[in-house]
Amino acid sequence: MTGPFATATIVVGLVIALWAGVYLVIKRPVDRPLQVAQLVLAGIFVVLAIGGIVQMLGTDRDLARAEFVGYLLLSPLIPVGAWWWSKNDKSRAGSGVVLVVGLVMPVLVVRIQQVWAGV
Amino acid sequence: MSESKAAATNQGFGRVLVVIYAIFAIGATSRSVIQIVSRFEEAPIAYSLSAFAAVVYIVATVALGRGNKTSRKVAYVAVGIEMAGVLIVGAISLLFPEAFPRATVWSDFGRGYLFIPLVLPPVALWWLRKTE
Repeated sequence: MTGPFATATIVVGLVIALWAGVYLVIKRPVDRPLQVAQLVLAGIFVVLAIGGIVQMLGTDRDLARAEFVGYLLLSPLIPVGAWWWSKNDKSRAGSGVVLVVGLVMPVLVVRIQQVWAGV
Repeated sequence: MSESKAAATNQGFGRVLVVIYAIFAIGATSRSVIQIVSRFEEAPIAYSLSAFAAVVYIVATVALGRGNKTSRKVAYVAVGIEMAGVLIVGAISLLFPEAFPRATVWSDFGRGYLFIPLVLPPVALWWLRKTE
Protein backbone atom coordinates (compact mmCIF):
# COMPACT_ATOMS: atom_id res chain seq x y z
CA MET A 1 0.00 0.00 0.00
CA THR A 2 3.03 2.25 0.36
CA GLY A 3 4.95 0.83 -2.59
CA PRO A 4 5.97 2.45 -5.88
CA PHE A 5 2.49 1.97 -7.35
CA ALA A 6 0.88 4.11 -4.65
CA THR A 7 3.54 6.74 -5.27
CA ALA A 8 2.75 6.57 -8.99
CA THR A 9 -0.94 7.32 -8.29
CA ILE A 10 0.14 10.45 -6.43
CA VAL A 11 2.40 11.55 -9.29
CA VAL A 12 -0.31 10.99 -11.93
CA GLY A 13 -2.81 13.00 -9.87
CA LEU A 14 -0.38 15.89 -9.51
CA VAL A 15 0.53 15.83 -13.21
CA ILE A 16 -3.17 16.06 -14.12
CA ALA A 17 -3.62 18.93 -11.63
CA LEU A 18 -0.67 20.78 -13.16
CA TRP A 19 -1.97 20.09 -16.67
CA ALA A 20 -5.44 21.42 -15.80
CA GLY A 21 -3.85 24.37 -13.99
CA VAL A 22 -2.02 25.36 -17.17
CA TYR A 23 -5.26 25.11 -19.18
CA LEU A 24 -6.99 27.24 -16.55
CA VAL A 25 -4.34 29.95 -16.83
CA ILE A 26 -4.22 29.97 -20.65
CA LYS A 27 -8.05 29.80 -20.73
CA ARG A 28 -8.15 26.63 -22.75
CA PRO A 29 -11.10 24.25 -22.33
CA VAL A 30 -10.43 20.64 -21.33
CA ASP A 31 -9.49 18.69 -24.47
CA ARG A 32 -9.57 15.02 -25.30
CA PRO A 33 -6.10 14.06 -24.01
CA LEU A 34 -6.87 15.58 -20.61
CA GLN A 35 -10.23 13.80 -20.54
CA VAL A 36 -8.54 10.49 -21.33
CA ALA A 37 -5.94 11.20 -18.63
CA GLN A 38 -8.72 11.31 -16.04
CA LEU A 39 -10.00 7.92 -17.15
CA VAL A 40 -6.43 6.62 -16.87
CA LEU A 41 -6.32 8.07 -13.33
CA ALA A 42 -9.59 6.30 -12.53
CA GLY A 43 -8.17 3.05 -13.92
CA ILE A 44 -5.07 3.40 -11.75
CA PHE A 45 -7.31 3.75 -8.70
CA VAL A 46 -9.25 0.64 -9.66
CA VAL A 47 -5.94 -1.24 -9.72
CA LEU A 48 -4.98 0.34 -6.39
CA ALA A 49 -8.32 -0.78 -4.93
CA ILE A 50 -7.89 -4.39 -6.11
CA GLY A 51 -4.28 -4.50 -4.92
CA GLY A 52 -5.17 -2.90 -1.59
CA ILE A 53 -8.02 -5.31 -0.88
CA VAL A 54 -5.88 -8.32 -1.82
CA GLN A 55 -3.12 -7.04 0.49
CA MET A 56 -5.65 -6.48 3.27
CA LEU A 57 -7.02 -10.02 2.99
CA GLY A 58 -3.47 -11.33 3.28
CA THR A 59 -2.72 -9.68 6.60
CA ASP A 60 -3.92 -10.15 10.16
CA ARG A 61 -2.85 -6.69 11.17
CA ASP A 62 -5.23 -4.49 13.08
CA LEU A 63 -6.56 -1.81 10.76
CA ALA A 64 -9.94 -0.17 10.15
CA ARG A 65 -10.96 -2.57 7.40
CA ALA A 66 -14.37 -1.09 6.57
CA GLU A 67 -12.84 2.36 6.28
CA PHE A 68 -9.99 1.06 4.14
CA VAL A 69 -12.27 -0.72 1.68
CA GLY A 70 -14.65 2.26 1.64
CA TYR A 71 -11.89 4.64 0.62
CA LEU A 72 -10.58 2.24 -2.01
CA LEU A 73 -13.98 1.63 -3.60
CA LEU A 74 -15.15 5.27 -3.57
CA SER A 75 -11.91 6.84 -4.81
CA PRO A 76 -12.09 5.70 -8.49
CA LEU A 77 -15.53 7.33 -8.76
CA ILE A 78 -14.11 10.82 -8.20
CA PRO A 79 -11.96 11.00 -11.37
CA VAL A 80 -14.82 9.36 -13.30
CA GLY A 81 -17.08 12.17 -12.06
CA ALA A 82 -14.48 14.76 -13.08
CA TRP A 83 -14.18 13.15 -16.50
CA TRP A 84 -17.94 13.27 -16.99
CA TRP A 85 -18.05 16.87 -15.78
CA SER A 86 -15.23 18.10 -18.04
CA LYS A 87 -16.83 16.31 -20.99
CA ASN A 88 -20.01 18.31 -20.50
CA ASP A 89 -18.57 21.59 -19.24
CA LYS A 90 -16.56 23.30 -21.94
CA SER A 91 -16.09 26.46 -19.88
CA ARG A 92 -12.99 27.34 -17.89
CA ALA A 93 -14.71 25.92 -14.82
CA GLY A 94 -14.24 22.45 -16.36
CA SER A 95 -10.46 22.88 -16.07
CA GLY A 96 -10.94 24.12 -12.50
CA VAL A 97 -12.86 20.97 -11.59
CA VAL A 98 -10.14 18.75 -13.07
CA LEU A 99 -7.51 20.75 -11.18
CA VAL A 100 -9.32 20.26 -7.87
CA VAL A 101 -9.78 16.54 -8.43
CA GLY A 102 -6.13 16.16 -9.46
CA LEU A 103 -5.15 17.67 -6.09
CA VAL A 104 -7.70 15.68 -4.08
CA MET A 105 -6.60 12.26 -5.34
CA PRO A 106 -3.03 12.38 -3.93
CA VAL A 107 -4.49 13.50 -0.58
CA LEU A 108 -6.82 10.50 -0.72
CA VAL A 109 -3.88 8.16 -1.33
CA VAL A 110 -2.10 9.60 1.72
CA ARG A 111 -5.27 9.12 3.77
CA ILE A 112 -5.62 5.53 2.52
CA GLN A 113 -2.02 4.90 3.53
CA GLN A 114 -2.76 6.33 6.99
CA VAL A 115 -5.68 3.94 7.40
CA TRP A 116 -3.45 1.10 6.20
CA ALA A 117 -0.85 2.05 8.80
CA GLY A 118 -3.57 2.06 11.47
CA VAL A 119 -3.49 5.81 12.19
CA MET B 1 -39.15 34.55 -10.49
CA SER B 2 -36.54 35.58 -13.03
CA GLU B 3 -33.18 33.89 -12.83
CA SER B 4 -30.53 36.04 -14.40
CA LYS B 5 -27.34 34.26 -15.41
CA ALA B 6 -25.14 36.64 -13.45
CA ALA B 7 -26.96 35.85 -10.22
CA ALA B 8 -26.57 32.08 -10.40
CA THR B 9 -24.26 30.55 -7.81
CA ASN B 10 -23.52 27.53 -10.00
CA GLN B 11 -21.73 29.26 -12.87
CA GLY B 12 -18.02 29.70 -13.49
CA PHE B 13 -16.01 29.54 -10.26
CA GLY B 14 -19.19 28.40 -8.52
CA ARG B 15 -18.93 25.07 -10.30
CA VAL B 16 -15.48 24.45 -8.84
CA LEU B 17 -16.88 25.41 -5.45
CA VAL B 18 -19.73 22.93 -5.88
CA VAL B 19 -17.26 20.15 -6.70
CA ILE B 20 -15.13 20.92 -3.62
CA TYR B 21 -18.27 20.92 -1.47
CA ALA B 22 -19.44 17.69 -3.09
CA ILE B 23 -16.13 15.97 -2.30
CA PHE B 24 -16.36 17.16 1.30
CA ALA B 25 -19.98 16.03 1.50
CA ILE B 26 -19.15 12.54 0.20
CA GLY B 27 -16.03 12.26 2.34
CA ALA B 28 -17.62 13.52 5.55
CA THR B 29 -20.77 11.42 5.06
CA SER B 30 -19.02 8.14 4.36
CA ARG B 31 -16.53 8.73 7.16
CA SER B 32 -19.17 9.52 9.74
CA VAL B 33 -21.35 6.57 8.70
CA ILE B 34 -18.40 4.22 9.29
CA GLN B 35 -17.51 5.92 12.59
CA ILE B 36 -21.06 5.72 13.91
CA VAL B 37 -21.68 2.16 12.77
CA SER B 38 -18.36 0.72 13.93
CA ARG B 39 -17.35 2.62 17.09
CA PHE B 40 -19.92 5.22 18.14
CA GLU B 41 -19.40 4.55 21.87
CA GLU B 42 -15.74 5.67 21.68
CA ALA B 43 -16.60 9.31 21.12
CA PRO B 44 -20.34 9.96 20.77
CA ILE B 45 -20.06 13.76 20.72
CA ALA B 46 -17.25 13.87 18.16
CA TYR B 47 -18.95 11.34 15.89
CA SER B 48 -22.37 12.99 16.15
CA LEU B 49 -20.70 16.26 15.26
CA SER B 50 -19.03 14.63 12.24
CA ALA B 51 -22.44 13.45 11.07
CA PHE B 52 -23.90 16.93 11.58
CA ALA B 53 -21.02 18.48 9.62
CA ALA B 54 -21.64 15.97 6.84
CA VAL B 55 -25.30 17.03 6.60
CA VAL B 56 -24.28 20.70 6.48
CA TYR B 57 -21.89 19.96 3.60
CA ILE B 58 -24.60 18.07 1.71
CA VAL B 59 -27.07 20.95 2.12
CA ALA B 60 -24.44 23.51 1.06
CA THR B 61 -23.48 21.44 -2.00
CA VAL B 62 -27.07 21.10 -3.20
CA ALA B 63 -27.92 24.74 -2.40
CA LEU B 64 -24.89 26.14 -4.24
CA GLY B 65 -25.50 23.78 -7.13
CA ARG B 66 -29.13 24.75 -7.65
CA GLY B 67 -28.41 28.44 -8.00
CA ASN B 68 -31.84 30.04 -7.54
CA LYS B 69 -33.22 32.54 -5.05
CA THR B 70 -34.38 30.08 -2.41
CA SER B 71 -31.27 27.93 -2.67
CA ARG B 72 -29.15 31.07 -2.18
CA LYS B 73 -30.81 31.66 1.20
CA VAL B 74 -30.34 28.03 2.15
CA ALA B 75 -26.70 28.28 1.07
CA TYR B 76 -26.16 31.34 3.26
CA VAL B 77 -27.56 29.48 6.27
CA ALA B 78 -25.59 26.29 5.60
CA VAL B 79 -22.31 28.12 4.97
CA GLY B 80 -22.97 30.30 8.03
CA ILE B 81 -23.43 27.20 10.22
CA GLU B 82 -20.30 25.73 8.71
CA MET B 83 -18.32 28.92 9.48
CA ALA B 84 -19.59 28.99 13.06
CA GLY B 85 -18.97 25.26 13.39
CA VAL B 86 -15.34 25.33 12.30
CA LEU B 87 -14.60 28.38 14.49
CA ILE B 88 -16.39 27.15 17.62
CA VAL B 89 -15.34 23.50 17.36
CA GLY B 90 -11.84 24.54 16.34
CA ALA B 91 -11.51 26.76 19.40
CA ILE B 92 -13.03 24.19 21.78
CA SER B 93 -10.82 21.39 20.45
CA LEU B 94 -7.72 23.48 21.11
CA LEU B 95 -8.79 24.79 24.54
CA PHE B 96 -10.40 21.58 25.82
CA PRO B 97 -8.84 18.70 23.86
CA GLU B 98 -10.57 16.14 26.09
CA ALA B 99 -13.99 17.27 24.78
CA PHE B 100 -13.21 15.62 21.44
CA PRO B 101 -11.15 12.48 22.01
CA ARG B 102 -11.56 11.67 18.31
CA ALA B 103 -10.99 14.15 15.53
CA THR B 104 -13.89 15.71 13.65
CA VAL B 105 -13.66 17.52 10.35
CA TRP B 106 -13.75 20.81 12.26
CA SER B 107 -11.21 19.94 15.01
CA ASP B 108 -8.16 22.23 15.22
CA PHE B 109 -9.80 24.46 12.58
CA GLY B 110 -9.77 21.64 10.06
CA ARG B 111 -6.05 20.94 10.29
CA GLY B 112 -6.53 17.30 9.35
CA TYR B 113 -8.04 18.49 6.06
CA LEU B 114 -5.32 21.03 5.17
CA PHE B 115 -7.43 23.81 6.75
CA ILE B 116 -9.79 23.62 3.78
CA PRO B 117 -12.81 23.53 6.18
CA LEU B 118 -11.65 26.90 7.52
CA VAL B 119 -11.04 28.48 4.12
CA LEU B 120 -14.14 27.12 2.38
CA PRO B 121 -16.91 29.05 4.21
CA PRO B 122 -15.42 32.55 3.74
CA VAL B 123 -14.80 31.74 0.07
CA ALA B 124 -18.39 30.50 -0.31
CA LEU B 125 -19.75 33.59 1.48
CA TRP B 126 -17.67 35.81 -0.79
CA TRP B 127 -19.02 33.95 -3.81
CA LEU B 128 -22.61 34.26 -2.63
CA ARG B 129 -22.15 38.02 -2.14
CA LYS B 130 -20.44 38.44 -5.47
CA THR B 131 -23.15 36.68 -7.43
CA GLU B 132 -26.00 38.50 -5.69
